[in-house]
Amino acid sequence: MNTVFKTLAATALAVATTVGAAQADGERYVLVSHAPDSDSWWNTIKNGLALACEQMDVECEYRNPPTGDLADMARIIEQAAASGPDGIITTLADPDVLSGPIRDAVASGIDVIIINSGTPEQARDFGALMYVGQPEYDAGFAAGQRAAGDGIESFLCVNHYIAQPASTQRCQGFADGLGVDLGNQMIDSGQDPSEIQNRVMAYLNANPETEAVLTLGPTSADPTILALDQMGLAGDIYFGTFDLGGDIVGAIRDGVIEWGIDQQPFLQAYLPVIVLTNYHRFGVLPGNNINSGPGFVTADALDLVAELAGEYR
Amino acid sequence: MTDANAAIDERVKETSRLRKALIRPELGAIVGMIAVFVFFFAFAADSGMFNPQGVLNWSTVSAQFMIIAVGACMLMIAGEFDLSVGSMIGFAGMSIALMSVTLHWPVWIAILVTFMLCVSIGALIGYTVVRTGLPSFIVSLAFLFILRGFTIFFPQVIERRTIIGGISDVAEGDWLAPVFGGKVGGWIFDWLAEIGMIATFSRGTREGQPIVDGIPMLIVWALLLVAVAHVVLTRTTFGNWVFASGGDAQAARYVGVPVSRVKILMFMFTAFCATVFATCQVMEFGSAGADRGLLKEFEAIIAVVIGGALLTGGYGSVIGAALGALIFGVVQQGLFFAGVESSLFRVFLGVILLFAVILNTYIRRIITGEN
Amino acid sequence: MNSYDHNPIVEMKDIEKHFGPVIALAGVSFDIRPGECHCLLGDNGAGKSTFIKTMSGVHKPTRGEIVFEGSQMNFASPRDAMEAGIATVYQDLAMIPLMSVTRNFWMGREPVRKVGPLKFMDFAKANEVTMAEMAKMGINLRSPDQAVGTLSGGERQTVAIARAVYFGAKVLILDEPTSALGVRQTANVLATIDKVRKTGIGVVFITHNVRHAAAVGDRFTVLNRGKTLGTAQRGQITPEELQDMMAGGQEMVALEGSLGGTV
Repeated sequence: MNTVFKTLAATALAVATTVGAAQADGERYVLVSHAPDSDSWWNTIKNGLALACEQMDVECEYRNPPTGDLADMARIIEQAAASGPDGIITTLADPDVLSGPIRDAVASGIDVIIINSGTPEQARDFGALMYVGQPEYDAGFAAGQRAAGDGIESFLCVNHYIAQPASTQRCQGFADGLGVDLGNQMIDSGQDPSEIQNRVMAYLNANPETEAVLTLGPTSADPTILALDQMGLAGDIYFGTFDLGGDIVGAIRDGVIEWGIDQQPFLQAYLPVIVLTNYHRFGVLPGNNINSGPGFVTADALDLVAELAGEYR
Repeated sequence: MTDANAAIDERVKETSRLRKALIRPELGAIVGMIAVFVFFFAFAADSGMFNPQGVLNWSTVSAQFMIIAVGACMLMIAGEFDLSVGSMIGFAGMSIALMSVTLHWPVWIAILVTFMLCVSIGALIGYTVVRTGLPSFIVSLAFLFILRGFTIFFPQVIERRTIIGGISDVAEGDWLAPVFGGKVGGWIFDWLAEIGMIATFSRGTREGQPIVDGIPMLIVWALLLVAVAHVVLTRTTFGNWVFASGGDAQAARYVGVPVSRVKILMFMFTAFCATVFATCQVMEFGSAGADRGLLKEFEAIIAVVIGGALLTGGYGSVIGAALGALIFGVVQQGLFFAGVESSLFRVFLGVILLFAVILNTYIRRIITGEN
Repeated sequence: MNSYDHNPIVEMKDIEKHFGPVIALAGVSFDIRPGECHCLLGDNGAGKSTFIKTMSGVHKPTRGEIVFEGSQMNFASPRDAMEAGIATVYQDLAMIPLMSVTRNFWMGREPVRKVGPLKFMDFAKANEVTMAEMAKMGINLRSPDQAVGTLSGGERQTVAIARAVYFGAKVLILDEPTSALGVRQTANVLATIDKVRKTGIGVVFITHNVRHAAAVGDRFTVLNRGKTLGTAQRGQITPEELQDMMAGGQEMVALEGSLGGTV
C-alpha cells in the first residue's frame, strides 16, 4: 500500500511540475506520431524535437498511440487540438482516419505540419502548412533503380509493419524501380526480432535464388543481419535498408549492408519546430515542402553517422 | 456459546448499513471516478480538458471503452473471458470494408452481414468453451490469433493492402451508416454556438460552425448498451441466470438454469459489442485497418475489473464497468491534457488496477464472510 | 402420522449401477413414504452418492426400476426428477455465496412480471416470499438482499430446504446436510428436517453420522459396498448396531436377527 501512495505522490508531483512549465511563456507545439511505444527508431525524432524546442525556447510535447492503433492516434490529435496548442506536427499514416481530426484542427486555427508519412499533395489538401519528409514510394523507387544498376533482378522485402500503407509503398516502389513485379517477394515479418530472423531464414532457404534483401528499418534490419550471419550469406547477398540505427551503421561498415536510405528523421522533427516558431514570431514561411530524404549512406564517410546513430541520425 | 453468537449477530446488525454501502460492486469505481475528476480539475482545469471539445474527446474515448466493457462485464459475470475482443474489432471492421468497398455491396448489407458473421463467431467461441470445458481464456486466445490472422490475410490477398479506405464515399446516403457513424443533437450545439457558449471554427471550409457539432453515435450506443445490459442483469430472470452461471455453474445446473445457453449468449453479446465498436469506428474514420483494436481486450477487462467485477465470475455490475471505462478514458486522455509524459499513463493504470483488485478482494471477503 | 398408512412416493427396486467394470450399486432397494424421514447410512464409498444421483435423475440405473407414485418412471435429467417433485439438496452445491438469498431462492424458477412485451423478475414478490418461507423455517433474515455467503452453513442448508419445499417437493433428498456443521447448527438443521417431515414431505436423509440419523429418523437403511444391508424401523435398532453395520457387516448374521425380519 505504501508503495502505491508513494507512486501516486511521485506522479502527482511530476504532473504538477509539468503543468507548471506549461504555463510559462512561449509557443506550445505537439508532435503526434503513429509509432507504437516499442519502436525505438522514433527516439531520433524525440531528440530532434527536444533540441529544436530548447534552441527556440518553446514548449513541446511528443504523443503517440501506445499500441500503434491509428484510430487511437486520431483521438490523440483531437485531444491535442482541444488543448489549444499553437501548432501540431503530425505524421499521416492513414489519410482516411486522420483527415477529419487534422482538418478540424486546422479549422480551429491551429497550424499543422505533416511529417514523415503521407504526401505533399495530402498535406496541401488537408490545409497543412507544409510537408517535411521522404515520399515513400519515390524513395523506394530510387533505391530500386540503384539496385537495378548493380545488376539485381529479384529481392526479398522484409515488412515489419504491414498494416501501414507507407511500408508497402516502399516495397512496391523498390520493385517498380527494379522493373520487376512485387508478387510474393514481400513478407509480413511481425515485430518480434527472433520471429523476423526465422522468417527471413525460412524465406531465403525456400527461395535460394533471391539476389537482394530490402528491410524497412532497424526493427527488421537488425534481425535480418543476424539471419544472414547465421546462413553465411552476410556480405554475399545484396542488402539494402531503409533508415539507420546502431547495428545498421555497423553492418554498412562491415560491408554486410550495401547502403542505408537515410530519411534523416532528425530534420523531420527539428525543422517543423523551427519553421513554426519563426512563422509565429516573424510571419516567415518557406515557400515549399521540404524533402528530408532520401540520402544514401554507404561505407564512405560513415564516421559521423556512426557516432550519432540512434541519437540524432 | 449461544450468548457469544448472539453478540456477534448484534454487532453485525449495527454495522450492516455501512457494510451494505460497502459491498456495492460499483463502490470502488465511484470513489475512483471522484478522485480522478478532482485530480484533473486541480491539475488540468485550464488545459482545455473541460472545454466542449475536450469533454467530447474524453467522452468519446470513454464511450469506446464502455461499449466493449459492457460485453466483457456481462461475460465475466457469467464466469468467462473473451480475449478475442480486440481481434474481433479488427475483423469486423475489415469485413465491412471488404464487403462494401471491394465487393461493392450496399453498406447496410455489409454491416448486417458483418454483425451476423461476428455474432456467429462469438457463438462458436462460446460453443467451443461450453462443449470442451476448456478455460475460455485459452479458447478465446486461439481466436485472438485466428481472427487477427484473417484480418491481415484477406485484405492483403484481395486488395494487396492492409488498410482499406474509401468507406465514407460508399457509405454516402446509406440509411444504416449514420446509425453508427453519425452525430445527434447538432441543433443544440448550433444554438449553443449562437449564444456563444461554445467556440466556432475560425477559418477553413467550416468557418463559423461550432467546434463541437453533435454527440457521436458512439456515445449514444455506449449509453444504450449500458442501460440495456444493466436492466437485463439486475431486473430480469435472464440476469439472475447470468449471475448464477458465473457464481457456480454446477449449482445453477442443478436447479435447471440453462448454463450453457447463458454462456454462449454472453459470448455472442461480447462479439456484438465488439462489432458495434468496429462499425462505429469504421463509419467515423472511413477506413478499416488490420491493426485496429490491438490490445483492446485487456483494456475492456481492466475497465470491468476497475468497475468491481470479480475475475472469478458471479459478481459485478454493468454500471461499475461503465464507470471503470470512464475512469480509463479520462485518465488516458487527461494525462495528455495535464502534459504528463505519456509513458506515465501506464503507471497510473497499474496503480488504479492494483487498487481496484485489492478493494474487490476485500469486498468479496465481506460478502462471503471468509477471512 | 404413521408413515405406513401411505403407499411409498418413490420405490427403488433392485437398483444396479455399473460404471464400466466397476459395480457401484449391486441391487439396492429403498422406498420413501410421505411424512417420514428415511435415513440412508453408509460409510464413505458405500455408494450413497451414486444412489442419490440415480434417484434424482443424474444417473440412469443399469438394472432395476424406479416407481414414482405407483407408475414406473425413467428420469432423463435432474430437471425431470425435480419437476416430478424429487428435490435434492447437495452438500456443497446448494447455494451461490455471492448472490443474495432471494436470487438463490428463486434461481431457475424466477417469478416473472410482464411489462408490455418485456419480462422482468418480480423482486417485490420474490423478496416477500423468501422472507416468509425462511421465517417458517425459523430463520429471520436481516434482508432478502443479504448474500448467501454471509449465512452460516446451517442457514444455507435451510435456505436450500425451504426452496425445495416451497417449490412443491414431495421427496426431499438431503446429501450429508450436517457433515460440515457445528453442534448448534446441526441441531437447527435437524429441527428443520422435523418441520419438513410434518408437512407430509418424504425426507431422505443421507449421513454417516449415526447420532444425527437416530435423532430424526423414522426408518434406517444401511448401505455397504453397493448393497443394502436392510431397513429398520425406529426403536428396532440401536445406534450401536447401526454403527457396526456401517463399519462392514462382519456381524451380519447377528444383525439380521436383530432387525426382526424387516430385511
